[in-house]
Amino acid sequence: MNVDDLVRDTLREQAAEQAPVATGFADRVLAVRRRRRTRRLAAAAVATAAAVAVAVAVPLLDSGKEDVRPSGGIVVEKKDTKAHPDQSPPREEISVGGTTLAGYYLPETVETSSDTAVYQRTYHLLDPKTGKYAKAADWSWVAVAPGMKTAAVLERDLPVSRIGLLDLTTGKVERWIQVEHDVAGLSFSRDGRKLVATTYTKNPDLRVRTEGSDDWGQEWTSSRTGFYVLDVASGKGDWAEVKLSSDPDDPMGGSFLNSRQDFALTDDGRHVWEGSPTEPGYAFHDLRGNKVPAPKGDKYLSWFVDAGKSPSGKLVAGDFAGKKWTTSSYVVDALTGAKTEVRGQQLLAWVGNSKLIAWDIDKEGKNEFHQRLVLVTVGSEKTVPLSGFRVGNDGDAGRWEPLFAQP
Amino acid sequence: MNAEGLESFRDFVDSRSSALLKTAVLLCGGDQHAGEDLLQNALIKAAGRWQRIDEPEAYVRRVLYRQQVSRWRLKWPRREVSVAEPPEADGAGADPAAATELRLVMRQALSRLTARQRTVLVLRYFEDLPEADVARLLGCSVGTVRSTTHRSLARLRQLAPELAALGSAEAERFGSPNYSPAEVRS
Repeated sequence: MNVDDLVRDTLREQAAEQAPVATGFADRVLAVRRRRRTRRLAAAAVATAAAVAVAVAVPLLDSGKEDVRPSGGIVVEKKDTKAHPDQSPPREEISVGGTTLAGYYLPETVETSSDTAVYQRTYHLLDPKTGKYAKAADWSWVAVAPGMKTAAVLERDLPVSRIGLLDLTTGKVERWIQVEHDVAGLSFSRDGRKLVATTYTKNPDLRVRTEGSDDWGQEWTSSRTGFYVLDVASGKGDWAEVKLSSDPDDPMGGSFLNSRQDFALTDDGRHVWEGSPTEPGYAFHDLRGNKVPAPKGDKYLSWFVDAGKSPSGKLVAGDFAGKKWTTSSYVVDALTGAKTEVRGQQLLAWVGNSKLIAWDIDKEGKNEFHQRLVLVTVGSEKTVPLSGFRVGNDGDAGRWEPLFAQP
Repeated sequence: MNAEGLESFRDFVDSRSSALLKTAVLLCGGDQHAGEDLLQNALIKAAGRWQRIDEPEAYVRRVLYRQQVSRWRLKWPRREVSVAEPPEADGAGADPAAATELRLVMRQALSRLTARQRTVLVLRYFEDLPEADVARLLGCSVGTVRSTTHRSLARLRQLAPELAALGSAEAERFGSPNYSPAEVRS
């Protein structure tokens, strides 16, 4: 007998012992899929989160009356709420309690050859003078600082060697920060004074064709090199190298990372963290790039949930829950990990310490991708629609992705 | 997914999952839970574009193989699969017992290969696919399939000295595997 015969016999014997799949497997798959939707590997969620340290007074929304609204041409503008339940993508400002939809982008996978493409974002940013969203086609990446006065931008063809500081009131770049290591992702600190720039040697948004299919997937290798923590006022800051760990058993020599996996500062500004597709789902570093254990109040962070920590730091926006309602999410106690369920399919931004803006589906809940922005409240069943519904399926061109700024 | 899509997805899962799970568990070196996870992830991926897939089975299998190869790149702790210790040969050396013992030894050795090595062996020897098909499925060159097969079999022999008495597989008889950098890295 040859060794390949034995391999064959062994594999067949092992396969024959395999018990059939339990009944209900399809439903299990569909349930898990719904739960995991927000965890899509390619989502660069962390980098879009921007927050502010000052806890804001929660405006009391006169909820209830607004729960059901006709879908045509209604503008809800009262006290602290500007909602446009008939607009998707929104044309006019959406904001609640100071948390503002600073803009949105339309993603598109642009083919560059028969087997390569680039995932590109076309941004639309709020012009505070007109209260309308206007196309800002120059930028491949935008991070909006708390307060909605400044945005940090990157030009097309990532990675790039300079970062623009855009004055949102004029739409002009006020200052450029030159960097030695090319940058492809940006994220503001909670107080807006620091900017974390993630450095790459290749465009992290490149896509490659999956063999024999019309799907585009991310590359299997990461070109990430480290990060800068820059002082926004002076434009100065150090670069920290973060080496990719490599597996000696792996002839391909790589560790697994999403091709884009950006860094961000923790809310207290003491650490830089990144999400990870592998357990425990994140890694923390000191400001020089050395790995450190998860800080106490940050260990329940989920990088794929944009809302992150509440302004007070006591609660963390968590993953999809789906127990109490068809679509709901967890809000997690930052210290104990205790979970409460709140309405909303995907938590996007905090409004004070007890309300959040989320994606949610309509009441009938037939299509999980038919979502609109809503305001949800911890401890309440009520949801207040803020935008119209997104059309198309996940990954379709033209589905807008929101960008929020804290007050 | 609309109602019609949901129904055909359920039908597909009900009718094909048991067969797909066999492959998935083999790809995971006999780890039942890891195999279920692998299949579940592949089906979730398929569900996302269900109505655009022409051949669901081929699609899911391709995702299984590729996912398994990329999973190996994840820094997930490698789960050691416990396999019963082979019974001590009692000296009588009856053939059926010896063959069973060898298969147990082989099972254990297979579970200790890297996922990529195991995937190539499952495709070559369980699915009986020619090298060119394996290369297409994994998105690498035929040279890589050949050298990976060669190295995987060598590794099995290293892990299980009990296999020394076995004859060489055809894949082992190549003069030297292709170690050009591009081949090794792809």
